Amino acid sequence: MSAVTDDPACRAEPESTVARAEGVVLRYGHHTALLASSFSIPARAVTAVIGPNGSGKSTVLNALAGLVPPSSGTIEVLGTTPERARSRVSYVLQHVTVPVGTPLTVAETVGMGRYPALGIWRRRSAADRQRVRSAMERLKITDLARRHLTELSGGQRQRVYVAQGIAQGHEVLLLDEPLTGLDLVSARTIDSIIHSERHRGCSVVLTTHDLGEARAADHVLLMKGRVVASGTPAQVLTKENLETAYGLGALHDAGEAFLDDPAHQRETTPADVDDVDASDERAGQSPAGEGGGQPRGHAGEDVDHSDP
Amino acid sequence: MLDWLLDPFALGFQQRALVGGMIAGIMASIVGTWLVLRGMSFFGDAFVHGVVPGIAAAVLFDFSPVLGASVAALVMVAGISLVHRQTALKEDTAIGLLFVGMLALGVVVISRSTSYAGSLTSILFGDALGVTREALVWQTALAVVAVATALLLYRPLLALSFDRAKAEALGMRPALTHAVLLVLIAASVIGSYQSVGTLLVFGLLVGPPATAALVARTVPMMMGLAVVIAIISVGAGLVISFYAGTAASATMAIVPVALFFVVLPTSRVVARVRAARAEPRSPAGAGVGT
Repeated sequence: MSAVTDDPACRAEPESTVARAEGVVLRYGHHTALLASSFSIPARAVTAVIGPNGSGKSTVLNALAGLVPPSSGTIEVLGTTPERARSRVSYVLQHVTVPVGTPLTVAETVGMGRYPALGIWRRRSAADRQRVRSAMERLKITDLARRHLTELSGGQRQRVYVAQGIAQGHEVLLLDEPLTGLDLVSARTIDSIIHSERHRGCSVVLTTHDLGEARAADHVLLMKGRVVASGTPAQVLTKENLETAYGLGALHDAGEAFLDDPAHQRETTPADVDDVDASDERAGQSPAGEGGGQPRGHAGEDVDHSDP
Repeated sequence: MLDWLLDPFALGFQQRALVGGMIAGIMASIVGTWLVLRGMSFFGDAFVHGVVPGIAAAVLFDFSPVLGASVAALVMVAGISLVHRQTALKEDTAIGLLFVGMLALGVVVISRSTSYAGSLTSILFGDALGVTREALVWQTALAVVAVATALLLYRPLLALSFDRAKAEALGMRPALTHAVLLVLIAASVIGSYQSVGTLLVFGLLVGPPATAALVARTVPMMMGLAVVIAIISVGAGLVISFYAGTAASATMAIVPVALFFVVLPTSRVVARVRAARAEPRSPAGAGVGT
């Protein structure tokens, strides 16, 4: 059974953009997370939001998902307000804090993705169940269906959360750092989902610290408390723009640096510092950013240590 | 053996104690399942004490205890929210402040009563053997509404227990759902205080769900087990109190806590056996980090 063919394609969006922001300012209480910025997100494309920690990447996703209302300016998703578009936008959060001991199986967690369509009371139909099965197949977690979330590794849990997002049925898929710190299998699986969603006509917006992943996207937003640049990877990921966002000297090589992935920072040792030249050389030889549906950059190489 | 079990329920007031306790147990265990899953046990503990001044004022000035408890519950929630929002203090500090303040206020209010000790004991520890038929009718109505609400709102409550931001993204209105859960907790306390008292209703709110969580694989299973444990606790508590001559409400509250510590080591052994069985057949695609 082909999982992808069981899952209906994204609705054809006549507009060329799925989201548009004009002078939007985003705040959490008294803290301004995003200064006045204007940007647009193209339809049926993978958009990478990249920038240092605290640059407002997750805040932009929260705003697109309708979780953070603009303090000023306007933001439009699928031609309406983010709140009204919510049922057509699927959001996979970076940090999900499920309390330990919660008796939630993988199947039920993925099934929660159907809640926006089901509402509070409507019974699940055969089509709903099929969508959940299909999402689990695509993320290769069918054999984990009866396992508890607490019995999974970090990479497996991330696949469950992405399956939950896929099961929702969406036109826009938002992914907050979906590949950070994952094991190889999980990173490859999620990366292939990202690109297959685009082929199905969906729009994908993801945040990342990985320049390779950003280069593989169709569109890039470079952040530093505001949108520094937006456009194609070639237009945005220039040495000048990256230095503006990350500061002078932040990059060994503007092409393939891994930036500030927390997983990478954890693994940095004095030996790594001594070996800067060698690592630069390795980065230069990396196939990252050459296009296609394979995992790019470092994320897929980081072994997940978060055993249950 | 059967006579030994039935003797404690031969008289009308004993039967009413059983029925009142079971209704309290069913309501508290279903609402308590969400309380435990939300990690709000300390809040629940504070909440059951927070309604004391309202009930005390109702006893003293002869108005509806339900009204008194409801007003006290609102003051409690508003106070916690005020302290949490207006200061840099964490929420547990706000809960602790209101917990002590409201309980002390309740004792101060009831100390004005001529039957201070009797009234206070009755509010805190209940009077299971003094439950009236009218009180049972009221308690049943409240329980039906509370249980129906807790079951009908399964999806919003599960999404809220899963993750508040995700619940918002799924359109499950977590703020409203949280408010409804607070009302359900208040309803459980108000509906149960005569049977088991405000202090001991917490035992039924947390004990059966916590015990069920040790063995349940799903939330509906946890809820079902919690109800069974609550019913057993009430029945066993009344039987023990009859033969041992102990306080009925307190004995009912002790049983689920004792059950928890009986089930805990058993569940650990079962979990280890399950893990050992699962290990050899490591699932395909489990990833490097399994």
